[in-house]
Amino acid sequence: MSASAAPLEIVAASKSFRTPEGGTVTALDNVSVRLGGSEFVTLLGPSGCGKTTLLRTISGFESLDSGDIVIYGRNVTDWPAHKRPVNTVFQTYALFAHMSVGRNVGYALEIAGQNQRTIRSQVGEMLELVGLTGLENRSISQLSGGQRQRVALARALAAKPQLLLLDEPLSALDKNLRQKMQHELKTIQQELGIGFVFVTHDQDEALTMSDRVAVLAHGQIQQIGAPEDLYKRPANLFTADFLGESNLIPVEAAGGTAHLGDGQHFPYSGLEGRGTLMLRPEELSRAAGDGPALAFPGRVSARYYTGKDYQLELASETFGALQASLRDDGAVPAIGEAVTLYSSLQNLHVIDEVVA
Amino acid sequence: MRLSRLLTVYGIAFFVFVYAPILLVVLFSFNANPVNMMIWDGFTLDWYRLIFGMETEVTKSSTYVDSTPQLYAAVRTSLIVALSTTAISTLFGTALALAVARYRFRLAGLYRALLLVPMIMPDIVLGIALLIFFITIGMNLSVLTIIVGQCTFLISYVFVTVSARLAQLDSSIEEASADLGASPLQTFRKVTLPTIAPGVFGGALLAFIISMDDLVITYFIAGAGRTTLPIHIWGMLRRGIKPEINAIATLMLLFTIAVASIGLYIRSRRK
Repeated sequence: MSASAAPLEIVAASKSFRTPEGGTVTALDNVSVRLGGSEFVTLLGPSGCGKTTLLRTISGFESLDSGDIVIYGRNVTDWPAHKRPVNTVFQTYALFAHMSVGRNVGYALEIAGQNQRTIRSQVGEMLELVGLTGLENRSISQLSGGQRQRVALARALAAKPQLLLLDEPLSALDKNLRQKMQHELKTIQQELGIGFVFVTHDQDEALTMSDRVAVLAHGQIQQIGAPEDLYKRPANLFTADFLGESNLIPVEAAGGTAHLGDGQHFPYSGLEGRGTLMLRPEELSRAAGDGPALAFPGRVSARYYTGKDYQLELASETFGALQASLRDDGAVPAIGEAVTLYSSLQNLHVIDEVVA
Repeated sequence: MRLSRLLTVYGIAFFVFVYAPILLVVLFSFNANPVNMMIWDGFTLDWYRLIFGMETEVTKSSTYVDSTPQLYAAVRTSLIVALSTTAISTLFGTALALAVARYRFRLAGLYRALLLVPMIMPDIVLGIALLIFFITIGMNLSVLTIIVGQCTFLISYVFVTVSARLAQLDSSIEEASADLGASPLQTFRKVTLPTIAPGVFGGALLAFIISMDDLVITYFIAGAGRTTLPIHIWGMLRRGIKPEINAIATLMLLFTIAVASIGLYIRSRRK
């Protein structure tokens, strides 16, 4: 193991499945990723995008048609699952119902032939880490969903993995518990300093927890980067649309200026020809502000209160329905009211793709 | 209100219909009347004494022929057969269930169906078929042919019981075991087997009980020398219904209930 080797390197991984109807589905199409240091990386995508397949090829439950999986400099592509230095937290938890909590957590150590005393102290340590101190002798059926989740995490971590894989582990939890676990997972990852590869279809979860997010669709990585980059500067329409709400407005750029369909324009030098301006709902506001701004007159067609703000749908005169989120300042326009929303010209992001 | 009363009456009638004959056998086994068991002649344990080879009024009669040794031999044969077939059919039935559940192969559906056929096959057909088969391959009828013959259908019972358990098994627990470093053999021993154990145990129990009381098929393939308990009882019946048959039947009933109870108790404790 060389010190400079990345915890995980996936090189040109491809995998396709045969469907029962006789067709083939490409789950992974020439995917390459490299994980640095002790990163928390999330594979994000809609169901069927290949994210779970990618995770299962890392853990060794699926084999690749072509490509390589390299963990800390060792090519493990042909290694069986039980020899790989990675561990998994399963979506269904996959706890051993015939064993106590303690034996579940100590399973990897028991398999590795550790003595009882070591196992007991390690199990105690892991249960403390996940906040289940003293539950060694409970049976799995006596645990709540959240506790099972923690046992599954402790069991995987007790094996001292160099890389932890998490397959939508929070999807069965209710919203409050989910948010609590998101923070705890992040804390544990930072405490242990190992790489986490987390699979989810939940964009909020991905943005909250990750150092980097890889957006997958159609078996390919659409974009990989820091959550902020992905949200503010999506590379393509898929990422823009999948991560959060967005208003996509066609623009045409020439000579350092981008023009909207209604004649408004703003300086933009990154593109020549047709493209798409992406405006997040929170970038629209009622006040024009000091500098120049884009104006979108229209009529409010829907209004929802979410607790932290109001979601407005504006039937604009030239661009169809626009989504905006407005702070509750006591003057949020009512449904049917005519209103003009503004967007500052600062930090506008244009995608080099045309809305269909 | 009236409907529920009707249902109660129906329920009672149902259980009377099912259990009255069995209760009568138990009752008759304590009836002292040696000639007509339908007429109550006082309580006695003589019929039990008789089958345990103890002295009673009957054995003092000059016409009495002691059949206790034959009865014991039949019980011994039945136990040998039942224990052997249970072991063999549990092993093969479990292995088959695992294979069919784990591997995707061509004609898996047909394979599964063929494993179920012996359970619905008429006993008499299976009996004749086995008899002809053993004669054709030149195997002398013996305890061995009984064991081999019974296994042909007992395996199906174990297969079905274990398959039902496997169907509930979340296959990701086996992946989890491998993920935590266990080899396929360790995974089987520590995760798969303990998880399907109730099914395996239930299948074994079923095989044992069915083997103990199989008459039709065993009758064809037992040969002249060795008889099992059901064949022995059948033979006794053909010479007239003797009161000690009731005692034997009662003891068999007791034995079966005991075996099933132990099984259920062990299963409930596992959960």
